[in-house]
Order: sequence, then structure tokens, then C-alpha cells
Amino acid sequence: MKDLPDFNAMSDDAFRALARDFVETHYPDIPRYTLGRLHWDQVKPWYMVLSAQGWLCPTWPRAHGGMELTAAKHLILIEEFERYGAARVNDIGPVMLGPLLLKFGTGAQKARFLPRILSGEHIWAQGYSEPGAGSDLAAVRCEAVRDGAEWVINGQKTWCTLGMDANWIFILARTDKTVKKQAGISFLLVPMDAPGVTTRNIENLERETEFCEVFFDDVRIPADHIVGGVNEGWAAAKALLGHERVFIGAPRLSAAAMSRLGHIARRAGVWHDPVFRDRYVALQCDVADLSDLFEAYVDRLRDGRTIGADVAMLKVFQSELYQRISELMMEVAGEEAGAVMPPEGDRRLHAAATYLSARPTTIFGGSTEIMRNMLAKAVLDLPG
Amino acid sequence: MQDEAGEDWVENARMIVDSAGAIVPADGSLARVRAVRFKGPGYDRGIMAEAGALGLFQMRVGTGAGGLGLGLRETCELARVLGRGLLPEPVLPAIMAAALLQENLPGSALTGEQVLTWAWQDAPGRLDWTGGVKDGRLCGRKHAVQGAAGADLFVVVTGAGIALLPRDAVTVEVADSLDGGKLCSIAFDNAADLRPCATAQSVIEDATLAHSAYLLGVSERALEITLDYLRIRRQFDRPIGSFQALQHRATEMKVGLELSRAAIFATARRFDTGIDAQSRAQAAARVKLRAAQLAMHVSREAIQMHGAIGITDEADIGLFVRKAMAEANLFGSPRMLRARLAAMLDEGLAA
Ligand SMILES: Cc1cc2nc3c(=O)[nH]c(=O)nc-3n(C[C@H](O)[C@H](O)[C@H](O)COP(=O)(O)OP(=O)(O)OC[C@H]3O[C@@H](n4cnc5c(N)ncnc54)[C@H](O)[C@@H]3O)c2cc1C
Repeated sequence: MKDLPDFNAMSDDAFRALARDFVETHYPDIPRYTLGRLHWDQVKPWYMVLSAQGWLCPTWPRAHGGMELTAAKHLILIEEFERYGAARVNDIGPVMLGPLLLKFGTGAQKARFLPRILSGEHIWAQGYSEPGAGSDLAAVRCEAVRDGAEWVINGQKTWCTLGMDANWIFILARTDKTVKKQAGISFLLVPMDAPGVTTRNIENLERETEFCEVFFDDVRIPADHIVGGVNEGWAAAKALLGHERVFIGAPRLSAAAMSRLGHIARRAGVWHDPVFRDRYVALQCDVADLSDLFEAYVDRLRDGRTIGADVAMLKVFQSELYQRISELMMEVAGEEAGAVMPPEGDRRLHAAATYLSARPTTIFGGSTEIMRNMLAKAVLDLPG
Repeated sequence: MQDEAGEDWVENARMIVDSAGAIVPADGSLARVRAVRFKGPGYDRGIMAEAGALGLFQMRVGTGAGGLGLGLRETCELARVLGRGLLPEPVLPAIMAAALLQENLPGSALTGEQVLTWAWQDAPGRLDWTGGVKDGRLCGRKHAVQGAAGADLFVVVTGAGIALLPRDAVTVEVADSLDGGKLCSIAFDNAADLRPCATAQSVIEDATLAHSAYLLGVSERALEITLDYLRIRRQFDRPIGSFQALQHRATEMKVGLELSRAAIFATARRFDTGIDAQSRAQAAARVKLRAAQLAMHVSREAIQMHGAIGITDEADIGLFVRKAMAEANLFGSPRMLRARLAAMLDEGLAA
């Protein structure tokens, strides 16, 4: 592990320059600017570079091998990596499980699992959803029963993003059927090579294999592979870092899509068409306003203020804005929008890829409907 | 308005729809449609022979020319049913090509033994069709030629008339399209006879309506599948269709569907009973604009209401999204049609 400088002591400009130099120097010879996810065999070199340089886990404490960045610095890092088009690595370990273990894990769990995330030895999948438990996550039925020094797991998880690349999965399992739904759930850590674990890949709408089902058939794990206590998994699972909830509303996706929309319009010869411009300008204003709202939340993070339930407004607006931009792309691209490959192989002109990749953004991580329900209650204080 | 054909069309349409059951499974199964995706031309030529046997290619050939002389309403009704089944075969293009050929429709195309299509569009993103001739000789390129990848005969539409070309007289360029078919353009340079054709513009407008009806069918079936899902999918111990947020949006889709249906069939009636050329062009654009927007809107909402299962290739609802993406912009994208209607304002037409 490298001896890292004190990033937070740097000025924002200095850190930005450093991050830019980092990605330009270290990014391996793998694809950039992909809309879909890369698989482990493709993205591994980047993961390993980040790992070797100590840049894999920006939010973790330095004592645990992280960069311990403030929210503001972390945002700069994300911006610079995305500006370069760096691929997203298999980041469920660094982004989800790591912070969760830091908060709820035992000393032994931290000592065992955190270094293995850092080294790339353990690649994690998230096993929350089930066929019958999506928006209503507390309805999970996958069951774990205590048998001596082990948990015995039976059931199914689904929609596990890049689950086929993972060798460990954390799951929400039912450990008490007699209590209120949320109160009978535990958070378990399961090696995917344990006897009784099988997977089935699922092709997504883009006909890529990005998620899978995972089946558990009398799978046995040691009793201590539980995080946060028996029947206390719900609270652990729901505790998402405040700043992750802000970053998901960042205007970058939409801003980048606007620039692609501009390319598509110029190719179609309608850049000057007032019928097009009317809609383009409206979307442009939406992106600008979203940027301002986003910055307001980033300021709150900078000042160390708490982030409330209202932050969901960012995700709702950002994901739908991205979709609306992709819809105009489809109209402007004309007949060519219907092709699998973009004109002249130029991905900037690929309206369909943006349109398809925009679809799940209003479904995962809390659907827009669920978020609106939540906002109506938690923020607007409406009855029901 | 007095309807010359009386209520005959309803009975005719019913017969056509019944017979279409031979090529579009009544139970809504899309197994065949899935099986032909991304293979060969993206459709089954055998189905064209079945459509020929049903007499579908004679629908728009006048009785005087040995055809059935059916109206555009019947054609749109057929198109709607084909759209419900996401039929990938170029049945509608063959009907339109036959309408242009009339008494010159070759027997092999009438039976569907040979696959017939037509090529009219001069450039992507435009509705111009008078190109394709140089110094009186058939020479040029046509775009968005439906079914071209597996076609034997091409009716090429130009400003100097139409020509019937065999497969070996054209160069077909193909690209995979999202629905598993092919997006094709053709190039030609040929000494073939150009036959005068006074109906090109009106057949293109007829085809615009028929394609709108196909998209209506796509939307109609996507909504049905989604409503079924809203009824059976349970979350929070109740069907998700009981949530008002979804009920209101499902209702919006239904309103859009009925607006589109009304616009298509009222316009088809006007086309059948006679309408001036300018109103015709305006109406075709209006009808197509709504149908395209509807197909995109409904298929998008369908996905959203299915949740993650809507993001899979194995769920049938995804086939509707891909079909809408592949075909909503044929005969003009919504942006282009809005621009066209805006231009017509200056001609005092789109009141
Ligand atoms: C690309 C992708 C990746 C994913 N990756 C993972 C992963 O790695 N691990 C994991 O565990 N899960 C993952 N998921 C699953 C995701 O968390 C669920 O899709 C999500 O929770 C929604 O559940 P569902 O798909 O079952 O939809 P459902 O809950 O069945 O919802 C269907 C529709 O009903 C609406 N609805 C539901 N309840 C209400 C209500 N009360 N009011 C109004 N509308 C309602 C929904 O908004 C949606 O439109 C992923 C999903 C996608 C699409």
C-alpha cells in the first residue's frame, strides 16, 4: 500500500489536478465512456491499479486503507474520473459493504473482509431483491435457520448486478417469521463457492448479461457471518451514506447526454430547426437548474449539515431528466435511431443506447414511484 | 359526412382480422416472433406466402384490376392486428407496393411466393420521394426500405414514375435493427422501364396511416400486458394496480390510445370517401405524430410499471419497447412531423 498525501489539506484545484493526472497516468488499456457495465475480466486491471495506488476506497478511513476524502474532494474525484470516461469497477465492496462493515461490523469482520475488498480478492454482489420482494423489500422470504454453529440458507435472490463476477454476496435473509416483517431480517455474508449456491444469468433489455439470479439450497455459513446482530439486518441495509444519496443526483449524466443530443441534431441537420430548439433549450434549462440544486446539497455536505429525506428529489429529477433527453435523442435521430449500432460506429450518435440505459435509472435504488410516495409523506407531511 | 361504403367496411374488416389469425396467434404468443429475431432477414418468408394465400396483398388492388378493392379502414384494421402481434414480416409494405402496381402486380408476388416490397424514401429523416432518377434513368438510392433484406421484388418510386426491380438489380445495405429485423437502404442504377404513377403521394399517405395503425396495435397490446401485470403483481400485500400513482398513468395511456385510434380511423374514412390533397398530407402527419408518440410513451411506461423484470430480454414486454424504438420514426419522426405541421401553418392549413 502506498503512503498517501493528505488530500483534504490540498486546495480543491490542486486535488483536481492530482486526480486528473492520476487517471490519465494510470488508466489501463481498457474501454472508456461505456454506457453499460464492464465485466470483471475487462475491468480488473483498473481495479488493481486503484488498489495498488490506494485509490480504490475514497470514503474509507485511512487506517483501513481508504483515502478518507471529504465529500467535496470525493466529488472532485468522481468528476475527474468520469470526465476521462474511466469505467466503473465492481464497486459493491468498496461502496456498499465496506462502509456498512465499518459502521456495523465486528473487529474481526473488519479485519477479515476490508483488506480483501482492497486487494480485489473478494468481489461482492448485493443480494437484497427477490422475485416477490422488490419495492417491498421487507417481504424477503429467503430464509436462514440456525443449526449449531452455522446458518442454513434456503431461497432465492435476483437482479444481482454483476453477480456472475462476484465470489461473495451479502444478503437479507428472514431469520424470524413470527414478528413484524422488518424485525425478522438479518444481514448475512455468503461465499458464492459454498455448496448449494447456484446462479442463472439474465440478459437485460440491451441483451447484455449484467445481472443474475442466485439460488441457495441448504447453504451453510459460519454463525459469525452475520452483520449487526440477529434480526437487526434491516437497519444496516437501510443505512446508506448521506453523500452517496447526493451524488446519485449529480447532473453529469444529463449534461453529457445533452452534448450527445447536440451531435445527433447536427448530424440530422436540425440543429437550427426551431421546433428542435424549443425542446432543446427547455432541457438545457432543466440541466442548469438541476446543477444548482445539486450544488446546494453539496454545500450542505461541505458544511457538515445532515442530509434529509428530501435529497430524494435529486434522484427523481435527475433520472427522469436523463430519460427525457434520451427521448428527444430518439426523435431527432430519425430512422437511424432504430439501429443496433450507431451511425458510422460513432457512440456519441447512439440515441438508442442512451434511451435503453436510461430505463433502469428510475427503477433501481428505489423506484421513482416509491421515492415520490416517500417524499409526499416525509417531506410534504401528507396523510396516508 | 355520408359514408358511401356504408357499414360494409366493418364486416370486411372483421373478415380480414379473422383471417389474419392465421399469421398472428390469437393467444398473443410471441414465441415465433422471438425465434426469427436477429436471424437471416429477421422474418419468415413462409409467412408471406400464408399472407398471400389469405389474399392480403390484393386488398388495395382495385376490383377492376382483379383485386379486392378494400378501403383504408380495413387496411388499418389489419395493420392494428399485425401490430398487436409484432408481426415482423413486410405485409404492409407488400400491400402498398401492390397498390402502386395494380394490374401489373406479378402473380408470384400476389401469392407471396416472392416477397414484394417498395422503396420510396430519398433520405433518412425526410419524406421526399421524387428522387432516384438521373436523366430519365433509374439511378440512386432509397432509404428505410422495409423488409428489403429478404425481398425478391422492389417497387421503386420516383418522380418520373415507378419501376419493378428484381433482387439482383439492386444493392441492399443492411444494418441490424433493435427489434431483430434489418434497417435497409437500396442502391440501383438500371435501365428498367419507368411506368407513370399518379398515386405515389397518396399511397405514401395511406401507408403512413397503416403504419400508424400498426403502432396503435403495438401500443394496445403493450398496455394490455401491462394492465395484466398491474393486476397480478403484488407488493406491500396488494396488487400494484391498486396504487393510484399507477392507476392515473395507466389511464393516461388509455386516453392516448383512444385518441390515436379515433384519429386513425376517422382519417382513414376521410381518405376512403375523398379528401383534398392538402388536408390529406396534414392529416397523415397528425395521425402519425400521435401514433409514434403513443408507442414510445406506452412502451416506456410499460417497462417502468414492470420494474426490473421489464429490463430483461426474456420478458415479452421488452419486445414492444424495441419494436417501438425500431419503427416509431418510420414515415417521419415526431420532431420532423411537428416541423412539417408547423410549416403547413404558413400555408393556412393546420388550423
Ligand atoms: C438494472 C438493475 C440492477 C439491479 N441491481 C440489483 C442488485 O444488485 N441487487 C439487488 O438486490 N437488487 C437489484 N435490483 C433490483 C431493484 O432494487 C428492484 O428492481 C427495485 O427494488 C424494484 O423492485 P421490482 O423490480 O420488483 O419492482 P416492483 O416492486 O414489482 O414494482 C413494479 C412497479 O410498481 C411500482 N410500485 C411498487 N410499489 C408501489 C407503490 N407503493 N406505489 C406506487 N407504485 C409502486 C414500482 O415503482 C414499479 O414501477 C436491480 C434492478 C435493476 C433494474
